[in-house]
Amino acid sequence: MALIDLVVEKIVKIPLESQDKPDILRELVRILKDAGEIDDFDAVLQGVQDREDKQSTGLEQGIAVPHCKSAAVSSLKLAIGIAPQGIDFDSMDGQPTNLFFLLIASPGLSGPHVEALAEIAKLSRSKAVCKALVHAESAQEVVELLKGS
Amino acid sequence: MSNPIKRIMVYVDGTEQSVTAAQYAICLASFSGAELIAYYVINTRAVEDLLKARIFLKDEQVEYEHDMEADAERYLNYINELAVKKGVSVIKKRSRGSVHREIVDSIEADDVDLLVIGELSRIRSRRDEFFDETERAMRAVSCSVLIVKDEDRVWEMYESLV
Repeated sequence: MALIDLVVEKIVKIPLESQDKPDILRELVRILKDAGEIDDFDAVLQGVQDREDKQSTGLEQGIAVPHCKSAAVSSLKLAIGIAPQGIDFDSMDGQPTNLFFLLIASPGLSGPHVEALAEIAKLSRSKAVCKALVHAESAQEVVELLKGS
Repeated sequence: MSNPIKRIMVYVDGTEQSVTAAQYAICLASFSGAELIAYYVINTRAVEDLLKARIFLKDEQVEYEHDMEADAERYLNYINELAVKKGVSVIKKRSRGSVHREIVDSIEADDVDLLVIGELSRIRSRRDEFFDETERAMRAVSCSVLIVKDEDRVWEMYESLV
């Protein structure tokens, strides 16, 4: 399944309510739980936190890509969260983070996981798209922006 | 007129769509007598890009490449099992690099007449950022391409193959 197929309104949240990194991770995983995409909330959250403990996935220009492999999922799972106010996420450039792309993959799907992360990386280099996403007012608008419709 | 399809390549990436494509390719090889190649590309190009973008750590790069090697072995063996059940021989092939580039090069090197791939996303984003490696290969290869759809129908066809 292509990354674009995963972009639906129920996996997008605007605005994120949390104010710090641990709560943001929890809120992102909660999006997947509430959308019925995962069953084991704790296992997925633990996987994401373990990866963040090695090094923050907060990149430059307000983007973060928390990710992990988890046996708690059988296919690729994506959640998108937007915090227009910006959150301290230990980013590389020290700037607040606004856009969060959470990606979880099952251990047997490393290839599709890598390709999905590469698509997000490419998207994150487009300043115009990122700016439009941060200023989006609804999940529907985010879906429309990403699908280019 | 001799059989116009002497060599078929099916691209396998671990997705359900690619397994369905493989079942179809096995049927096609059985009916036509064509040689069948099952091909998996370990996408080291994307992993390197992720390391450069600092999304991956060095140990993640090593881990994911190792996992993809294992996935390649597992999926190619699975396709081989599907083929053997139906009395079809499969040449298992894998390489490392950029997926679409490797497919294009392999089609040329192996003189493939037909590339068989799984169903593509029905959503076509206008954003260049969302690209599909298989779709890029489909557009770039020199041979004809067959896109396999309708998983249930293909499964029935595969199952009915003696």
